[in-house]
Amino acid sequence: MTVVEVLFLLLGLVAAGSALLVVTTRTMVHAALWLVVTLGAVAGIFLLLAAEFVAWVQILIYVGAVVVLLLFALMLTKAPTGPQPDLDARRALPAVAVAGLVLAVLGTTVVAGFHGVELDLDGAVVGSAQTTGATIFQQWVLPFEVLSVLLLAALVGAIVLSRGTGRRGGE
Amino acid sequence: MSSAAVLAAEFQAPSFEYSLLSPLLVIFGVAITGVLVEAFAPRGSRYLLQAVLAVLGVVGALVATVIVGLNLVSRGGGTAHGSIAAEGAIAVDGPSIFIWGTVLVLSLVSVLLFAERRLEGGVLSFAGQAAALPGTEAEREASTRGLEHTEVFPLMMFAVGGMMLFPASNDLLTMFVALEVLSLPLYLLCGLARRRRLLSQEAALKYFMLGAFSSGFFIYGIALVYGYAGSMNFAAISAAVSGRAGGEGLLLGGIALLAVGMMFKVGAAPFHAWTPDVYQGAPTAVTAFMAACTKVAAFGALLRLFYVAFGGARWDWTPMVWVIAILTMVVGSVLALSQTDVKRMLAYSSIAHAGFLLTGFVGAQQVADVGIGEITSLQAVLFYLVTYGFTTVAAFAVVTVVRDAGGEATHLSRWSGLGKESPVVAGVFAVLLLGMAGIPLTSGFTGKWAVFTTALAGGAWPLVVTAVLFSVVAAFFYVRVIVLMYFSDPVGEGPTVATPSILTTIVIAVGFAATLALGVVPGPVLDLAAAAGEFIR
Repeated sequence: MTVVEVLFLLLGLVAAGSALLVVTTRTMVHAALWLVVTLGAVAGIFLLLAAEFVAWVQILIYVGAVVVLLLFALMLTKAPTGPQPDLDARRALPAVAVAGLVLAVLGTTVVAGFHGVELDLDGAVVGSAQTTGATIFQQWVLPFEVLSVLLLAALVGAIVLSRGTGRRGGE
Repeated sequence: MSSAAVLAAEFQAPSFEYSLLSPLLVIFGVAITGVLVEAFAPRGSRYLLQAVLAVLGVVGALVATVIVGLNLVSRGGGTAHGSIAAEGAIAVDGPSIFIWGTVLVLSLVSVLLFAERRLEGGVLSFAGQAAALPGTEAEREASTRGLEHTEVFPLMMFAVGGMMLFPASNDLLTMFVALEVLSLPLYLLCGLARRRRLLSQEAALKYFMLGAFSSGFFIYGIALVYGYAGSMNFAAISAAVSGRAGGEGLLLGGIALLAVGMMFKVGAAPFHAWTPDVYQGAPTAVTAFMAACTKVAAFGALLRLFYVAFGGARWDWTPMVWVIAILTMVVGSVLALSQTDVKRMLAYSSIAHAGFLLTGFVGAQQVADVGIGEITSLQAVLFYLVTYGFTTVAAFAVVTVVRDAGGEATHLSRWSGLGKESPVVAGVFAVLLLGMAGIPLTSGFTGKWAVFTTALAGGAWPLVVTAVLFSVVAAFFYVRVIVLMYFSDPVGEGPTVATPSILTTIVIAVGFAATLALGVVPGPVLDLAAAAGEFIR
């Protein structure tokens, strides 16, 4: 086994193990923190696959933003932070079935789509920031620009729904 | 894509065909200007600025659409004309132009409905202050101060932009982004009713949750199709589907999941559950806009996706469309019979219409496949969408003027005796209902005739027989309302018909005129639909 394969195996084990802990732990905050480990390990796998840009996006967006958002939601909604004995998945079996199905479908997709594709680690540039940037700003430039319009619409909507026009706001 | 090739070449700036995209750019530009107006204009002048801006913007986009449409270039020698623009993201072709025109005209009518102020005593029929909880002091204060959310105009323009991009997108990613751009403002608009706000907020939340769920299905379908074809582009997917080099399961799974996302948007059974609740809860102007324009855009996108990308797998998806079409007609027509609320009844009627439209979907695809004087599925569906859109907007506009002390009197029992109270309104509504039922000399008849003949030409006669059967069932509940309006005695004080401003009057008049005109002389619009030709790839 090469170094890369050993690293891949280890990172995979860490990701799978911490993902199990996310769903089995009885403390909500711990679940969120274990999620950091899972997503970090997945980012490591992306790095091994020469997808450096995706790896950093994974760290920035998922570890940086999504988990922080989760923690903030826990904090602001006054959810109990201690261990909760009743925090147990009552529908564990159906959940396992769904997870297994998703695994099967995704696995089939990957095998069918990329079966036998070898990554040339020396010349591989598939996931570099340069390639990603060129793709986004050439091929996908229109969807990319329209996404900013979508974000603007979401922003306007959020303000409409949440901001009260108090006495201060009136003219 | 070969990564080395990308790296080898220096970065090339993407080329944009600005003139071809001008209708889209105008609409998005108006939406963003609307946001700026909201930020900088004083509160008192916002309503007028926003309404005028929206109307001018839609008219401008309509003019741009006509200019682009007149200058389309022929492509591939056949009847298809147009070009692929914006680095392959958009196909500006005949059907796109036709749908853009339809969406824009219907949006223009809907803007007038949005801008109606007279019915609520000088304010918009949207919540004065959405953040104030229903029934609180803050809400009453907002009401007495006459606050109104003029943000609805830019939000609507964002939705219109998404509706134009959706049927014109030429790859799955653009289509997904467009789907979100058209949906998100609609979720928000649904929750902004001035009256019965809890119902409205419930509708918005329900629409949002189910919409997000269906988007999930859609994007999972994209992933599977990408795994199968190795590309997001419709032409590449079409080539992969025609080649059929194994991986059938992935393709079929992808088609099924994409269909779930699409069928949700068009409101076809069994993905219709949101329709009655959302149509009932949303402000009626939004319901009118949503019922007409979303259906036009979503059917356009559905046709493009299935004809262009999956045209080669037609024998795999046709049985699915049969089942969904029959189920949709059954659910729409039968459940409409038991409705007691006029908005819910119109919602079920729109479900039934989705079923009739799907009937036309399985006809002949290529212009070359049909004889002279016959039309393809695409042209029939496009024509039906026009007839359906105008009738629906006008019907919901009529709903806004029949009122009692609590706002719109949507319960059907309040409509009894309307014929005596206001013969004009009742008469107009009766014609619109007859149009929806598909009585000859109305647009509904010509529309149904178009989709049924094309389905017959495609050999789907059992489907057509079912469709005709359920048209009769559907006609029953439309006629029931007419009977109620003319031959029942008013309950209690009876309904009152508020006098709307010129805006709503225009909407009703346009819809009424279109319903009759398209029934008597459908020729020009049918010719226009035929001139749209077919999708380019």
